[in-house]
Amino acid sequence: MPTIASEMTTDNLESSSMASSPVNPNVSSRNRPPSSPLKQIPSDSLGPASDSLDSSNKKISADDMAFYYERLLPFRYVFQWLNHSPKPQKDFTMREFAYEHRSGAYQRYNSFESPEDFKSSVVRVNPTRFEVGAVYAVNPSERKTLPKSAMKPLEKELVFDIDLTDYDEIRTCCSKTQICTKCWKFITAATKVLDVALREDFGFEHMIWVFSGRRGAHCWVSDKRARSLDESKRRAIVEYLDILKNKGTKRLNLRRPLHPHIQRSLDILKPDFLTIIQEQDPWRDDEVAIQDLLSKIPNSSITDALKKEWTTKPHRSSLDKFQDISSMAQRLPKANDKKMVIEAEEDIILEVVYPRLDVEVSRQMIHLLKSPFCIHPGTGNVCVPFDANKEFNPMTSPNLRQIQGELLKYDEEHRGDDKKVANWDKTSLKPYTDLFTAFVKRLLASEVTGKRERDEQEPDLEF
Amino acid sequence: MFRSTKRRTAGRKNFESSIISSSTPNAYLANVYNNSKLTFYTLPPVGEITLDEFETWAIDRIKILNEIESCAARNKSYKEIESIVAPMIQQTLPLNSTNVEKLNRERQKDYYSHFILRLCFSRSQELRTKFLKNETTLFKIRYNQLTNAEQQQFVKSLNLPWDFISLEEKEQLSTKLFNSISASLGYVLQLDDVQKRKYFEQEEFIKIPFEYVTDLLPQRSIFLQRGTAYVPKFQQLQLLVNEFSAKLEAALISTSHAFPSLDEDDRILPILTHLSSGYSLNYSQDSYGANENSSDINAITVGSKEIVDQFPLCGQHAMYGLRTLHHLKYTARQQFTLFLKGIGLSLEDALTFWSGEFKSVSIDKFNKEYKYNIRHSYGLEGGRINYKPWDCRTILSKPRPQKGEYHGCPYRDLSSDSLARKLREMGLEEKDVQQILEISDKGDYTNACSRVLEVKTNGHVQEQVTHPNLYFDRMRQYTKSQQTEA
Ligand code: SF4
Ligand SMILES: [Zn+2]
Repeated sequence: MPTIASEMTTDNLESSSMASSPVNPNVSSRNRPPSSPLKQIPSDSLGPASDSLDSSNKKISADDMAFYYERLLPFRYVFQWLNHSPKPQKDFTMREFAYEHRSGAYQRYNSFESPEDFKSSVVRVNPTRFEVGAVYAVNPSERKTLPKSAMKPLEKELVFDIDLTDYDEIRTCCSKTQICTKCWKFITAATKVLDVALREDFGFEHMIWVFSGRRGAHCWVSDKRARSLDESKRRAIVEYLDILKNKGTKRLNLRRPLHPHIQRSLDILKPDFLTIIQEQDPWRDDEVAIQDLLSKIPNSSITDALKKEWTTKPHRSSLDKFQDISSMAQRLPKANDKKMVIEAEEDIILEVVYPRLDVEVSRQMIHLLKSPFCIHPGTGNVCVPFDANKEFNPMTSPNLRQIQGELLKYDEEHRGDDKKVANWDKTSLKPYTDLFTAFVKRLLASEVTGKRERDEQEPDLEF
Repeated sequence: MFRSTKRRTAGRKNFESSIISSSTPNAYLANVYNNSKLTFYTLPPVGEITLDEFETWAIDRIKILNEIESCAARNKSYKEIESIVAPMIQQTLPLNSTNVEKLNRERQKDYYSHFILRLCFSRSQELRTKFLKNETTLFKIRYNQLTNAEQQQFVKSLNLPWDFISLEEKEQLSTKLFNSISASLGYVLQLDDVQKRKYFEQEEFIKIPFEYVTDLLPQRSIFLQRGTAYVPKFQQLQLLVNEFSAKLEAALISTSHAFPSLDEDDRILPILTHLSSGYSLNYSQDSYGANENSSDINAITVGSKEIVDQFPLCGQHAMYGLRTLHHLKYTARQQFTLFLKGIGLSLEDALTFWSGEFKSVSIDKFNKEYKYNIRHSYGLEGGRINYKPWDCRTILSKPRPQKGEYHGCPYRDLSSDSLARKLREMGLEEKDVQQILEISDKGDYTNACSRVLEVKTNGHVQEQVTHPNLYFDRMRQYTKSQQTEA
């Protein structure tokens, strides 16, 4: 591997240990590292790979990555997705990419001229992963010779980031970096709710959901209309979606009648909620959690009765407890009292399973996010795209070791075959690349029609 | 809009030819106001105005914006602001004359003053934000002064991409629409549940792309369907205000990009600088000159050691150049003439002083070549503008002095050695000299200068120097107070 030292300068190479965050820490209410492009390397990606997701105990080596970049990552489709056209245009050539190096260093402001340039650069540098940023008016790699103001982002996909760490206070099956199919249900519920809201409320059509490789998912919205939103509009959209924004430890207390978006989300989430509390069982024996649950029920006759009942029946399951509340509400004499308890239960459902969003990731145009089809350095999992409305199992999704083996095996078995098969089609990546190419194809088709319309409007020339 | 036609851009030409009916300024104004009492100021003005109008119109508008600003700073409610500002608008910026000729004058003044201030206040983010906020409030007040019919007329004139929805559509979406606006009917209009229902029955809804109403999104007070927002009519003003401020914000930013190209216009720029500093929305500095210290400044005293010692280094440096060369080049002459004017040197004294200093220049030559420039700086020639002394930012934005030139800021332009020597000559102690050299090295020239002022006043004046005349005024005040004490 050629050395990369020659092209790194201290100016655009930020060591993770010195990285500081320009993000206002007050904005992000949840305890995750600030979503800054200069973020620190999450500690879990450096430690020994030890969680249930790992199919191998060995760390992903530089050779493994080189193999993957050279032979398996579908660069052309990633290029088309970001370029919105088969021929390179500004959407791609003026776009920022960042490398996370093996040393932990983070290198911003790379840009590429073509899909070939893109691939050869990644292959040469062989980063642990690369991230996608905004499109600028100038070439990001020339930024040093330009005034700061020239580096204003013009466009970027609207992105969302959901991470299981934000559910830690409610999920009991796993902790920290671990996940299982049970807690993945939080993510599934979240993606369903967001996907439908983005389509039905905002009219977006070109969304792709991507497994982050460990315990979360990203959503990229590529509609032209979404890409050109400025930061204040992005913030407004996230705030519209982020119904848990002001939630502290108190009850959510949503106003009735519920806004159609919230009503629809509730309808979607109800069944998921029941499954999830059955599996996570947060209110079984945890006295504090039980207290907390009861404190949200605005009816003392019910809460008093339940306290007694649950002491006589220890270890009563969370699902039973939740249903106890409902059935007691049904027996209340006054309709209004009943209504209030039911509304409180609805609030609880949303508190538990409504998507927990990272506002800053979605708002900031300069924020970078790991590209689809990267390899999660800690788990070796491929960051595969998935369909929000179909089952996705992160436990069985493709892993670098596995597809490496599959590719070698296929080539071994088909030695001498003339038929040209794309490498990824020889592995279990195939359904995911298929999903992605179909998505990119639809996106490109919409760009062609959209462009014709847009070209008819001349931009205003201001005073 | 300025008398010179040479700086019309290509875009501007296109635009002009596209409006066939606007061959005269009045027809143009009729077009931008489109039969309405208000405008979004989307198109740049055409036609000529005098520099006098340029300045007075702008000042009248600034006064109104200043009042809005200061009301807001005192936490007055919108209603209170309206009651204070509406009479001012009627007095100096009305738009409701029934006499066609008068109305045209009113429109012209309104239109131009808005655009002049756009130029003044586009230059920094801070100025832009203030201007945007105050203009938006002005717009809101004016809109609320209109009759219902006039409001409708105005909305129609905007051609915004919005439609009122049909009764059928309202019927179809009834539950969703009601559930979306129910909360805001409560807290915006203070209605109870029964009233809400009634209100909803007669309310009309506007359909518009959601991008226009993003500030209604966080409270979820509108219904969204496939990218279209359904906005109740009672939120219409909010919608207009958003649109107004979004358009203006974008325009301000593009104006700020266009700004450097105005730099060479020596008639416009000083006025703009003056307007945005002397009359700035934050009253940052008052105009200098003709101040109470000035009485003893004349052709003789201005060059005395006592006075020159109170100059900031740029002034001392220019004086040094003048004394050594008996001449100064153009930029230094401009910078220094205006500085001296600012400290109170009258035109007559200035002419005496300069001709006396230009020893190698014959009186005849002086009168022919230099007198005009000095009179010009005092506003007696050419555009007859009362030019203001340059502030540090202006000084620092000019090309750096070449060998033999004495303009600029010495903290930036002198080598460390010469700067150190100058500072020692000013009587600074070695540790201060070193510290000031360090600050200058970092590029914080005005900080270096502020530090010198602090040292020279024994710590009494700790003000940020932003203007050489500010430095001088503070030094004088300090010196005088020392003298009276002694
Ligand atoms: S900082 Fe300003 S006042 Fe001080 S020397 Fe420089 S230009 Fe003159
Ligand atoms: Zn789990």
